[in-house]
Amino acid sequence: MRALTANRLADGETVFWNNGRWVERFVEAQLFDGHDEAERAEAAAKSLQTVVVDPYLIDVIEAGEVWAPLSYRERIRCLGPTNHPQHGKQAGGGADIEALVHAEGAARSTGRVNLIKRK
Amino acid sequence: MYRYDAIDKEFVADRAAEFREQVNRRLAGEITEDQFKPIRLMNGLYLQLHAYMLRIAIPYGTLESRQLRRLAHIARTYDKGYGHFTTRTNLQLHWIKLKDAPEILDQLADVGMHAIQTSGNTIRNVTADPYAGATADELDDPRVWAETVRQWSTLHPEFSYLPRKFKIAVTAAAKDRTATKIYDIGLHLRRGRGGELGFEVIVGGGLGRTPHIGSTIREFLPTRHLLSYLEAILRVYNRHGRRDNIFKARIKILVATLGAEEFARQVDEEWAKIDTSRIDLPDTELARIRGEFTASFETLPPSSAVLEAAKAADPAFARFLRRNVHPHKQPGYAIVDVSLKTPGQTPGDMTAEQMELVADLAQRYSGDDVRVTYQQNLLLPHVKLDDVPEVWRQLAEAGLATPNIDLITDIIACPGLDYCALANARAIPIAQHIAERFADPDRAELVGELNIKISGCINACGHHHVGHIGILGVDKKGEEFYQITLGGTPEEQAALGQALGPALPATKVAEAVEQMVEVYLEERKDGERFLDTFRRTGVAPFKEAVYADAN
Amino acid sequence: MPTLIKLQGGRAVLANDAFTHVDDDQSLPPGDVIISLTRFQADGERLLGEGRSVGVRLEPNEEAEALAYDLPRLALVALAFPKFRDGRQYSNSRVLRERFGFQGEIRAVGDVLREQAIFMARCGFDAFEPADGSTPEQWEHVTRRFRHVYQPAADDRTPAFVERGR
Repeated sequence: MRALTANRLADGETVFWNNGRWVERFVEAQLFDGHDEAERAEAAAKSLQTVVVDPYLIDVIEAGEVWAPLSYRERIRCLGPTNHPQHGKQAGGGADIEALVHAEGAARSTGRVNLIKRK
Repeated sequence: MYRYDAIDKEFVADRAAEFREQVNRRLAGEITEDQFKPIRLMNGLYLQLHAYMLRIAIPYGTLESRQLRRLAHIARTYDKGYGHFTTRTNLQLHWIKLKDAPEILDQLADVGMHAIQTSGNTIRNVTADPYAGATADELDDPRVWAETVRQWSTLHPEFSYLPRKFKIAVTAAAKDRTATKIYDIGLHLRRGRGGELGFEVIVGGGLGRTPHIGSTIREFLPTRHLLSYLEAILRVYNRHGRRDNIFKARIKILVATLGAEEFARQVDEEWAKIDTSRIDLPDTELARIRGEFTASFETLPPSSAVLEAAKAADPAFARFLRRNVHPHKQPGYAIVDVSLKTPGQTPGDMTAEQMELVADLAQRYSGDDVRVTYQQNLLLPHVKLDDVPEVWRQLAEAGLATPNIDLITDIIACPGLDYCALANARAIPIAQHIAERFADPDRAELVGELNIKISGCINACGHHHVGHIGILGVDKKGEEFYQITLGGTPEEQAALGQALGPALPATKVAEAVEQMVEVYLEERKDGERFLDTFRRTGVAPFKEAVYADAN
Repeated sequence: MPTLIKLQGGRAVLANDAFTHVDDDQSLPPGDVIISLTRFQADGERLLGEGRSVGVRLEPNEEAEALAYDLPRLALVALAFPKFRDGRQYSNSRVLRERFGFQGEIRAVGDVLREQAIFMARCGFDAFEPADGSTPEQWEHVTRRFRHVYQPAADDRTPAFVERGR
C-alpha cells in the first residue's frame, strides 16, 4: 500500500493526499492499492505548484491494528520530533497518534519509494 | 563590535525587500520551485521534515544584546519559543512558515541581522575565534578579517553560483577554537619575519562523505592582500570545481585531485593577473573596520575579593570557575561560558526566555557583547571578576550554568532525523542518553576533556569525524545504528577519527561510551586526556571492551 | 527569434537581434552569426574576412582566455547557461571585461532567468535572451534592487568601501 505526501508551500506543514485535497493527519490519508492510481495522484499533486512542494509516494504497511508508513523517517513526519512531544502533530494527541507512536515494523529510514535502486 | 553604518543597513533592508518580492512571486506561481529553491536557500530557508527551517547568520558568532533579544522575539512570535545554535555559530529556527519569512527578514534587518548566504552554493557565514578581542593569546582580532571577508563575499556577483557551499574561518590564536583545518579556507594569522601581519592560507578542509584536513597553500600572505587572494582561489574553484556530482563538488576534491602544490600554483597564476589595487581594501577602510572592534576596559586589580569569597563559600561556584571561566587579556576580567548542554536537554537549544536573560547579562556585565561557539554554546567575553558570582547565579537559575565545557556532557549534536530532511538517524536522543549517564559533575570532571560529536548523517554537521569520540548515525534496514570513531580532532594536530568497529544499535551506544570511558580511566597516565591515551594505545583496548560480548 | 534584452546605461530595452545562432552542423546563413568556439577556431578567419560580424559562443567549460587574441575583432561573446545554477560564466564574463577590456556585447543565453539579472549585470553581461518570458522592465527592476554593493566587479558601480571613503 502507498500514500502520497508533500509539504505545504505556504507554511511547510507535512500533508497527505486524500482524493484531491490535502490533510494534515496521516490517519486521514488516502491509501493506494493500485500502482496506476498512486501514480495518477502523484502526477496531479505535482501540478499543484502553488499548493505543495515536492509530493512523493511512500510505502505504508499494516503495523498491528493500523496502517503506518514503512519508514521511521516518515513516521517522524507524521508525528513530530521525538525530543519535543509537545511539538508537531503529536501534540494534538488522539488514538491515531498513539497508535503511530507505538507502531512496530519500521524497515527503512528514508520514505521515498524507488529511492533505493534495486539491482 | 561591528555596528552597521547606513550602507550596511540599507543593504539588508534591500535584501529583505528583494526576498519579499521573490516569495510573493513563488506563492503566486510566477516562479517554479526549481527556480525558487536556490533563491530561497540563499536566504537561509530550508524545507525540512515538519516545516521550513530558517538559518539566521551570526557573523563570526558575535551578537549585541539587542540582536539576541530580537532573536528571542522572532523565536517566540514565529516559531515555538526556542532556537538552535549550530556548529557554524548560526541560529536555526525549525518551525518557520514561508509566508512569514519576509516579515522575519525585515525584523532582522532592523537590528543589523540577516540570513544571507547561510545556505546555497555560496560563500557562507565566516566564523572566527569566539575569544576574539578577549584573549591574550591572539596576534590580532580575527573579527577584523572576518568582517572584511563577510562584506566582500556578500552577494558577490561572480561567486553566488559556485559548484557547492564554501566556508571560511579565521583564527589568530595558538589554540584554534574555530576548527579552521576542516574548512574550505582556513586563515591563520601569523607574523612575518619583519613583524608584519599575514595569513597562513589553508585550503581544502571539509567533512561529509570524503573528509579532508586542509593543506597549506601559502605560508604567508600579507594581510592587505587577503581579498584579492581569496578572489583568485574562488575563481579557480568556480571555474574548475566539479559540477557533475554533488558529492565531489567541494574545493577539497579539487585540491586533492590537483594536489596542493598544483592548486597553489593555479591560484598564484590567477592572482598575478588580478588588479589587487582594485580589490584589496584601502588602509582607511581596514582602519575603520578595526576601529569597530576596539573595546575599552577599566583598569582593575588582577584578582577579586568578591570572587574569591564566593569560591571559598560555594563548591558549586568553585566548580563553575574551574570549568566555565577563562582568563581574559585584561586584568580583572574573565571569559564566561554559557552552557547549552544541560544533561537531558537538546544540545545547543535555547529558549526565548534564556536568550533574553543572556542578552541582559551581556548588556549589563559583558560590554553588550555575547559570542556563539562552534560547540553550540555561548559565552560572555568581557565579565569583570567581581561580577562573575552574580552572572553565575543568574545563569544557574536559568539552567545555563552546567559546569561542563569541553567535558563529556558538552556534546555536539546536529538536529538529526528529528528535524532534518537529510538525516538517516536521530542524534539528539543519543546525546541525551550519554549526557544522562555522565550527569554527575564529579564523574564528568574525573573523566576530563572529552569531545563527543554526533551526526545524524554523512553530511557531518555534527562534525563527528573530528570528535574524540565521533558518532555517525546510519540506517540499517529501518533501524537506527551508529558507527563510532575515535581520536578525531580539528585542532593543532588535526586528525580524522578511526573506526572502532561495526555499527551499534541505538540502545547500545551510551553503554559503549561508558565502556570506553572505563578503558580510558584504567589506561590513562600522567594527566592524559582521552585523546592522549587513545593516541598512545590505539583503538584495540577500546574495541575489545565494546565488542567483548559479541563473540 | 527569441527575445533579446540589452542593458544600456543602466536601462534595459528590447532590442532587435542582428545575429543568428548557428549550430556546428548547420550551414551558415548570410549576415551576422553566433557560432561555437570550435567552429570559430576552424572557420572564424574566413567569416571575419567576409565582413560579417561574428559572435562566439562559449560553453561553461570553455574559458574566455581561448579568445584572448581574437576579441578585438569579435562583435559579441555569448556565454551559455545550460542550467541557471551553473555559475562558471560569471567568471568568464568578468575576465572578458576586466582582464581583456572587451567592449563588445556579452550575451547570456540558455537557462537565463531574471532573478540572476543583478549578478549578470555586475559581471559585465549587457545582453540577455531570457528563458522565462521576462520583460526589459523586469530585468531593469532586478538590477536596481540594491542601493549599494560591497565589492568591485565588471560594472561601474562603486563598492561600499569607496563610498565610505568619500
